[in-house]
Amino acid sequence: MSDSAERTESESASTERDGQSAESARAAGTERPLLEFDEIDKYFGETHVLKNVSLDVPDGEVCVVIGPSGSGKSTLLRCANRLEEIQSGEIRLDGQSISAKDADINRLRQRIGMVFQSFNLFPHKTALENVALAPRKVKGMPKEKANERAADLLDRVGLSKQKGSYPNQLSGGQQQRVAIARALAMDPKVMLFDEVTSALDPELVGEVLGTMRDLADEGMTMMVVTHEMGFAREVGDRIVLMADGEIVESGEPKQFFENPETERGKRFLSRLL
Amino acid sequence: MAETYSDGTTTDGTGEGFLNDRTLKWVGVAGSALFTLVIAAFLAYIVVVQVNFALLVEVFQPQFVDALYTVLTVVVVGSVLSVTAGVIVGLARVSKTTFTRSVAKGYIEFFRGTPLLFQLAVVFFGIPALWPSGQFPFQNFAYPAAIIGLTLNHAAYIGEAIRGGIESVPDGQMEAARSLGMSYIQSMREVVLPQAWRNALAAIGNDQVILVKDTSLLTFIAVPELISFFRNVNSTNFDAWTPLLLVAIGYLAITVPMGMLVRYLEARADPAGRGDR
Repeated sequence: MSDSAERTESESASTERDGQSAESARAAGTERPLLEFDEIDKYFGETHVLKNVSLDVPDGEVCVVIGPSGSGKSTLLRCANRLEEIQSGEIRLDGQSISAKDADINRLRQRIGMVFQSFNLFPHKTALENVALAPRKVKGMPKEKANERAADLLDRVGLSKQKGSYPNQLSGGQQQRVAIARALAMDPKVMLFDEVTSALDPELVGEVLGTMRDLADEGMTMMVVTHEMGFAREVGDRIVLMADGEIVESGEPKQFFENPETERGKRFLSRLL
Repeated sequence: MAETYSDGTTTDGTGEGFLNDRTLKWVGVAGSALFTLVIAAFLAYIVVVQVNFALLVEVFQPQFVDALYTVLTVVVVGSVLSVTAGVIVGLARVSKTTFTRSVAKGYIEFFRGTPLLFQLAVVFFGIPALWPSGQFPFQNFAYPAAIIGLTLNHAAYIGEAIRGGIESVPDGQMEAARSLGMSYIQSMREVVLPQAWRNALAAIGNDQVILVKDTSLLTFIAVPELISFFRNVNSTNFDAWTPLLLVAIGYLAITVPMGMLVRYLEARADPAGRGDR
């Protein structure tokens, strides 16, 4: 009894900064976070890449995961929609297990949008077809309605003129914005961003980050793996620092960037400067 | 001319000997011209001296046309069946299930590792031999045997082409499709296979041209195709070049348009080309 009371308290503490999401969680009568990683372990063969990682992402939070390469941050993100299997622990979306053997993964993935470093647009389809494909095939939306929605989404990411373009006719930044629109087309509850600006020319990074900032402003729950510290600091509600498969520090951006608590955090930041 | 090319440079390997970078083009042209001349002379000699036009007209209809029609029928049916079966073999070949993958691998190893002539013998002579003498239910088994043999054989090659095509589609395509909530089958059908098909088209087209030529082996199981036509005309008229000319024209009449069809399909499947329109 006291145990559960304690947990409730700590959870509400963790969401306290984001008044809105705490409110909506309360309104829904649930106190659990939207996306939960519960003591997960992940191995690639012999290599232990995620070591007993636990992380809660509350509704509406922009959780930015940073860390040196090889620290497991991308793997963590990929586990969240089961592009990677975990060996122990559990990952839940809105209380439903994603990692369970019998999880209806196709259904769960519809609620988790994912944007990749390498865009992964479908090269044989136009921007509009890229966005409209999944709603049509997965949700069975009629073609006209799916196209209409896709056009709206492309408008929203500033690509209303590129609807009929094929991916190879778009710049990297445009492709990545189409990829964001494509993920949004399934009305996800949470969006995962896996180093989405790392493959872009420097002058194109801004437009993609801008789109992500808009999304964050609209209250989208986001988990962002990035090397863009400016974005992390400005848009993130929380910074999670990973190293060697573990979360070594987690805190508010201001706190983290100005005065990291851990030695690891200090070292990571000093290397950035 | 020489000054223009060697201007400002010293020894660039183009300066010595008969065959060098500068003369290569002209050596090529001269060689091609000689080749064309020899072939043209030879063909002219064959057509003027060797080919018996009276016989040519006589055997054209119905023997030659029938043989060509037989080849065409076998090719059309064999193409449709072998491409269909080949896609299935290719999909099995990239299955995540080890058992399915191994079976597909074994299938491909067997049908690529034994001669088509042997496979035709197994189907045409081996299968009927499983029934007691005279009890085999099919009367005219040559055509079904031809189709079965060609389909099984070419499905193996097309399976490998499809596997290569699928493997050359980046993993991120399947991941992106799956992460949108599409099932494996939907992702394959909508995203991976269309791209794999494009990648595999050249190899598939190549194989289908070989399939046309492989019909020549059907003479062995008494299918009245073009080589059988040649043998009949040759043995009854003691004339080699008249039927040979027709046979050559017959095969090329199928394989050349087929190559054009493949190039057309490749251009159509190219998203960049489509986008430029």
